[in-house]
Amino acid sequence: MKLSLPEKQNRNMETTQDILKSERQQSWREDLRKSMKAKERTSRERVKMLEQDPHIRNKNHTEVNVGLTEEMAIKEAQRCLDCVDPTCISGCPVNINIPKFIKRIEQGEFLESAKVLKETNALPAVCGRVCPQEVQCEASCFYVQKLKKDPVAIGHLERFAADYERNSGNISVPEVEERNGIKVAIIGSGPAGLAVAGDMIKWGYDVTVFEALHEIGGVLKYGIPEFRLPNEIVDVEIENLRQMGVKFETNFIVGKTSSVDDLRKEGFEAFFVGSGAGLPKFMNIPGENYRRIFSSNEYLTRVNLMNAANPDYDTPVFSGKNVAVIGGGNTAMDSVRTSKRLGADRSMIIYRRSIEEMPARVEEIKHAQEEDVEFMNLNSPVEYFADENGNVNKMRVQKMELGEPDSSGRRRPVPVEGSEYDVEVDTVVVAIGVSPNPLIPASMPELDVTDWGTIKVDKDSMQASIEDIFAGGDIVRGGATVILAMGDGRKAAKGMHEYLKEKVRNK
Amino acid sequence: MADLTTKYLGLSLSNPLIIGSSGLTDSVDNIGELERAGAGAVVLKSLFEEQIMMEVDASLREAYQNDMIYSAKSETLDYIDIHIKERTLSAYIELIKEVKNKVMIPVIASVNCISSAEWVSFANQFEEAGADALELNIAILPSDENTGPESIENTYLDIINRVRSQVKIPVSVKISPCFTNLAMMVRKIADTGINGLVLFNRFYTPDFDINNFSEKSSNTFSTPSEAGNVRRWMGIVSPRLKCDLAASTGIHNSEDLIKQLLAGARAVQVVSTIYKNGRDQIQKMLGGLNQWMDEKGYNKIDQFRGKMSQAETSNPAAYERIQFMKYFSEIQ
Amino acid sequence: MNKIVEKEQLNNNVVRLEIEAPRIAMKRKAGHFVIVKINKKGERIPLTIADADPDKGTITLVIQRVGVTSHKLCMMNEGDTLADVVGPLGHATEIANHGTVLCAGGGVGIAPLLPIARAFKKAGNRVLTVLAARSRDLIILEKEMRDCSDEVIIMTDDGSYGKQGLVTHGMGEILDREKVNLAVTIGPAIMMKFASLTTEKYNVPTIASLNTIMVDGTGMCGACRITVDGKTKFVCVDGPEFDAHKIDFDEMIMRLGAYEDQEREDYEKYLETVEN
Repeated sequence: MKLSLPEKQNRNMETTQDILKSERQQSWREDLRKSMKAKERTSRERVKMLEQDPHIRNKNHTEVNVGLTEEMAIKEAQRCLDCVDPTCISGCPVNINIPKFIKRIEQGEFLESAKVLKETNALPAVCGRVCPQEVQCEASCFYVQKLKKDPVAIGHLERFAADYERNSGNISVPEVEERNGIKVAIIGSGPAGLAVAGDMIKWGYDVTVFEALHEIGGVLKYGIPEFRLPNEIVDVEIENLRQMGVKFETNFIVGKTSSVDDLRKEGFEAFFVGSGAGLPKFMNIPGENYRRIFSSNEYLTRVNLMNAANPDYDTPVFSGKNVAVIGGGNTAMDSVRTSKRLGADRSMIIYRRSIEEMPARVEEIKHAQEEDVEFMNLNSPVEYFADENGNVNKMRVQKMELGEPDSSGRRRPVPVEGSEYDVEVDTVVVAIGVSPNPLIPASMPELDVTDWGTIKVDKDSMQASIEDIFAGGDIVRGGATVILAMGDGRKAAKGMHEYLKEKVRNK
Repeated sequence: MADLTTKYLGLSLSNPLIIGSSGLTDSVDNIGELERAGAGAVVLKSLFEEQIMMEVDASLREAYQNDMIYSAKSETLDYIDIHIKERTLSAYIELIKEVKNKVMIPVIASVNCISSAEWVSFANQFEEAGADALELNIAILPSDENTGPESIENTYLDIINRVRSQVKIPVSVKISPCFTNLAMMVRKIADTGINGLVLFNRFYTPDFDINNFSEKSSNTFSTPSEAGNVRRWMGIVSPRLKCDLAASTGIHNSEDLIKQLLAGARAVQVVSTIYKNGRDQIQKMLGGLNQWMDEKGYNKIDQFRGKMSQAETSNPAAYERIQFMKYFSEIQ
Repeated sequence: MNKIVEKEQLNNNVVRLEIEAPRIAMKRKAGHFVIVKINKKGERIPLTIADADPDKGTITLVIQRVGVTSHKLCMMNEGDTLADVVGPLGHATEIANHGTVLCAGGGVGIAPLLPIARAFKKAGNRVLTVLAARSRDLIILEKEMRDCSDEVIIMTDDGSYGKQGLVTHGMGEILDREKVNLAVTIGPAIMMKFASLTTEKYNVPTIASLNTIMVDGTGMCGACRITVDGKTKFVCVDGPEFDAHKIDFDEMIMRLGAYEDQEREDYEKYLETVEN
């Protein structure tokens, strides 16, 4: 049994300063830099993504962002200064080699650009669409940091390269090392699990992903709507993994269908738990169990995963004319914009802080506003009322004002006495966060978990308190982003690789 | 054997000894033991809104320093105060239910809030969970030079009125002596129609270490000398008020207990003495009360309650003496 | 993909299907359920596992046709496959020797009750069973129930079989004459509500196994939420069994009807296509 040396992959995963420097000195990069003066590059405005008209798109489920043309992409790539010290990379949770992929676009080598992305990111088409670049790579861009200008549109460029490759049919399948026959089990096929799968398969492991639902992709499929991330795109990325040799088993709940111990007996040597934060949270206010009050998970799963809005599909959903969505994050935006597409006259966001403080991606808020979503900020529901059938028909809301800051510096919302008023609603979606899925921790009582039910892991190796178990994504973070889940997945893969090398050595 | 039965907040207690809100009364097992040891009633450990907020702050701090907990953009983190509040409240309500299932003695829920909107919702839920009564722990240290005394007093009254209008179970309030005119404040509180008043809340006092200049805790336990102030005011106000009065702070032995009853209290709350002397102290104190009652020929507490209060004592002026003067020192 | 290896028509509306599901068969205990999806466009529905054969690698489901999906299931044949079957879900029934156990099953609730009754009998209990339904042909699995019960009382609304009356009458008869240590009730929500009210009068601890609307069945969506003892619980992960006396049945019944109108409409439309 031969184990691959991680060093070669290491280089691609952890872009060290030396490697970056030497790559930057390659002739093709130098030529590009010489081809245009820095002054000309910085004089340009940031590219504007082509979008569907808001009043057309708020009635359909096709992607809002249409994409950049090749010309637009090259022009935007030219804005990138190919900095000596590329601060953008450190802003990326998976340390994508940003200058390199952007310069390939400038060069016109779009397929090469996609290859660069795939070196560090198994799902570039996904990240380009859903990452909050404005607080990650783009926030660290030289343009923002030093020039106080709009950053290079790194997200749009990433999406461009990934889409180009996909549409060309020339999808690159990364090299896979010689098979070593060691079985690893990945629990959960969401972004964290897929990221681990992507790395482990490259290093020659025998990888099986176990998924509880009937579809692969986790939150990418059930949570994020078609108009932001088409399921078809997720499927292409998954097919890529299949091509590399990853096995997928759906309708398999580890902890119920088989236990981790059962799988150990079947020869699995290490496990990655990426079962996500599935448990919905409610506010526990009176009337919250009336009909047509949903958790965002239920609402989105019916529409995104079960295609409930399509009459050909059997799963029903109720989405009415006056829809209130409680919350201020991406899930709330997804829910409220979905309700618009399902025919609501009023799609309202009820959020207890101001619009500037909403944690949702800036682009989602902007798109939502364009689509006629009503933002009722500084409001919070206190009670729901229903008709004689139990269908919610009214929501009592209380106004809030911002008080003293809490320890994070954000001002605390304080209820304004006597400010309650009623709003007519026929559907409510509660999107105030999720908590880790309790199945796995419950099935392994020896596993160290926090009060919140998140699995405790070592920050660097992502190893849990049981040595053959690693974890990442929402099950560790309690409700985060796709890219952070992927970053965890990559770290965990490294940790698992190290652990398995030791294990094999000691046998 | 004397009859120690007492009515407090309309509840029937087998004796006037209540275990006050503390770490002694925070679990079903502990409370079960206290009942077995003879306590007349318990006040559950206070649910602190401030503590919830501190826990929220701690979570937020942890999250911002260690992004393994929550990402800054997560919805869960955005609403973490609601989640923590709900969790803490659920646990407290569970406690009330479990305790009520296990013991027969009255169980008084206690809550300490700093924002007035929360009081009522907490109170409602405790009533639903089965608490026999509610003790409002309103503790405002008058350290803000911009907030006038009337404003502080109105906060107390506003909270009391609001809670009382929402619940049917008896309501009491535990106060500190920090009022410009305590007698007037007590009158105003009693006039709300509240069922009971507890004198006094004992504030934690911060301390510091002169060697390493760091903060340290102090005065965790009360001393018997602190009971004197309680006794004075009990004696002064008890004849004036219709609501039930309970004495709290520094009551450590049976003599302390007897004195408070003589001053006019219906019941006493003890904490430190149980910590120091164990649960057996309950029987010792009740035993002492019994013995004294037998000696004096009393068979019911009603017969001597308030006998030494300002209205009934032979020297009422003694209650108002505040200076150490030679003239008075001969009168003991 | 799970193949149907055996099909039996128990009556006009109820079908028994034996399905290949080796892993589930190995892990299954009385009280567990599965989520089934017939095909790509189908919905996910919960079905209690009536029986399992670990050696054969099969599980048995008993389905009554009340809507589009259950009807489609009843129309499937041996050799057909189900696209998705996942489980075992929920907590298994806690089986112990309590003494005397009263099992009350209504309509298709009799199917999930059977394995539980069997398990209690095996554990040494005296098992007294009441089976109830609207009419004779809706009483199913009578022989199997008799095989694992010390006594069986059958109640039909119209008196076409057994005694005329509701399940509560049969239960009352037993509760009046002997001491019962535990009751288990499974059936339509309204039936369980009244069964529970009955046992409450006699102070008999009672378990109800609930069947609410579900989507994922793994605790992810909250569609199955109910209130037990004032707290929100999810039937799919906290249940499906709960202390019947603490369940807010009225709320559960209200929530169960959430898609009633649409489902009825869809079923009527579907029946037209089947008949034609």
